Amino acid sequence: MHQHLIELVLFSTYAELRAEHARSYLGFLWWVLEPALMMLTFWLVFDIILHSGGPGYVPSLLIGLTFWQWMKSCMTHGGYAIWGNLPLVRQVRLTPLVFPLSAMLADTVKFFCIFALLLAILWTAGYPPNRTYLALLPLFAAVFLFAAGVGFVIAAVVPLLPDLRFVIEQLLTVVMFLSGVVFSLSSVPSPWRELMALNPVAVIMDAARGILMHGQWPNWVGLSKVGLISVAVCLIGASVVLRLAPRYPKLAT
Amino acid sequence: MSDVLVELQHVGVAFNARRRVNESRFWALEDVSLTLRRGERLGVIGRNGAGKSTLLRVIAGILAPDRGRVQRGPVSCQLLSLALGFVPHLSGRDNAVLSGLMLGLRRRDIVARLDAIREFSELGDFFGQPIAAYSAGMTMRLAFSVALQVEPDVLLIDEVLAVGDTEFQRKSGAALRARMREGHTVVLVSHNEPQIAALCDRVLWIEHGRSVREGSRDEVFAAYHKDLQPAGATA
Repeated sequence: MHQHLIELVLFSTYAELRAEHARSYLGFLWWVLEPALMMLTFWLVFDIILHSGGPGYVPSLLIGLTFWQWMKSCMTHGGYAIWGNLPLVRQVRLTPLVFPLSAMLADTVKFFCIFALLLAILWTAGYPPNRTYLALLPLFAAVFLFAAGVGFVIAAVVPLLPDLRFVIEQLLTVVMFLSGVVFSLSSVPSPWRELMALNPVAVIMDAARGILMHGQWPNWVGLSKVGLISVAVCLIGASVVLRLAPRYPKLAT
Repeated sequence: MSDVLVELQHVGVAFNARRRVNESRFWALEDVSLTLRRGERLGVIGRNGAGKSTLLRVIAGILAPDRGRVQRGPVSCQLLSLALGFVPHLSGRDNAVLSGLMLGLRRRDIVARLDAIREFSELGDFFGQPIAAYSAGMTMRLAFSVALQVEPDVLLIDEVLAVGDTEFQRKSGAALRARMREGHTVVLVSHNEPQIAALCDRVLWIEHGRSVREGSRDEVFAAYHKDLQPAGATA
């Protein structure tokens, strides 16, 4: 039973990526081009026009945006996946977790393509690989679990309250600005800095920049807390989805 | 007793008609009871809107009852769904795998049956092409060929007995009827009375979401026709 679900999730992920590739002329190129264009926009506004950057601002921005895009796409694509698949939910007996999971895995595959590009940029910009790269593995796990947890919670509620979609996008933009994605927490005055440092996304951003730019091992205590919170959110999200599952096939289109 | 596969007792199912605050629910099924035994071929009849399709989805386990009780043994009940999860930009082959997985098959089982699907669907080289390039008839041929590979303990059929052009209709209809005669447990919803009469041994008649009568085919049909007659006379 479980193996069947794993096969279904993996093949749905493949199908999603394959279909997305086929839907446009440039196909896979958009996986990298789209985030690259967004990075370019932020770089233009914050570094070139506002001069709010400084040394190391561009790589710091690229790292922040790469990780944030991954999290955000998992939360939104995964979050809207059950709602988007309601016609299917009405036709077949399947755990609805399949839909957000395959959407999140597809976004994760795309993230690794972008991450490879990011590494190439960092290496040529004078931030060579270092032994703290080993810490990327637990960091990736923490990011995915956190995003998946939030994604599950959104996925559970959106079919019942689709209007939430309009709020979620705005809310995520606020979270982005409060998490040190486009600027480093060190540039924020006290006491806001301490307050913002409690945000799990900010801890993730800090850890990622430390590893990739400065060869620093992450703050393990902070990262462990994020990991634990993520596991808890994941479990809560998945159980809410399963609890509400009988209601989804009865919802109006 | 173990040959009872599914049992419904006074089952009711309610839906939300629209997404509005305080929108009241409507009961698609009010009070339906039935017993399905191994090897039985049960036909479900009733007028449009009687709740026949909802009933099938309750038996399939897609819809949970809002009242009453459903008892299901450790058996798979699968609705014969065509084109389930089909993605236009994927090839016929990939769609066959995806749809088969959604219908409950293991990947190795679908892969082993891909040649049979390709052959039955008569798609030839199109099997490797995206289904966005298919005609409606070709898509239905592929959809039916995939659905035919699924062999659940209880097969639930909602009207779909044959698809495609005349030739394929004959072929698909014959394949499904052969499946039904192989001793599988089947629940068939259809407006086509001769079809139910030919394929089912027992019949359940439901009206306005309630069971009116369940019993042998001839007995239920006789009562159903008797009920239809006055309506026909005044029309």
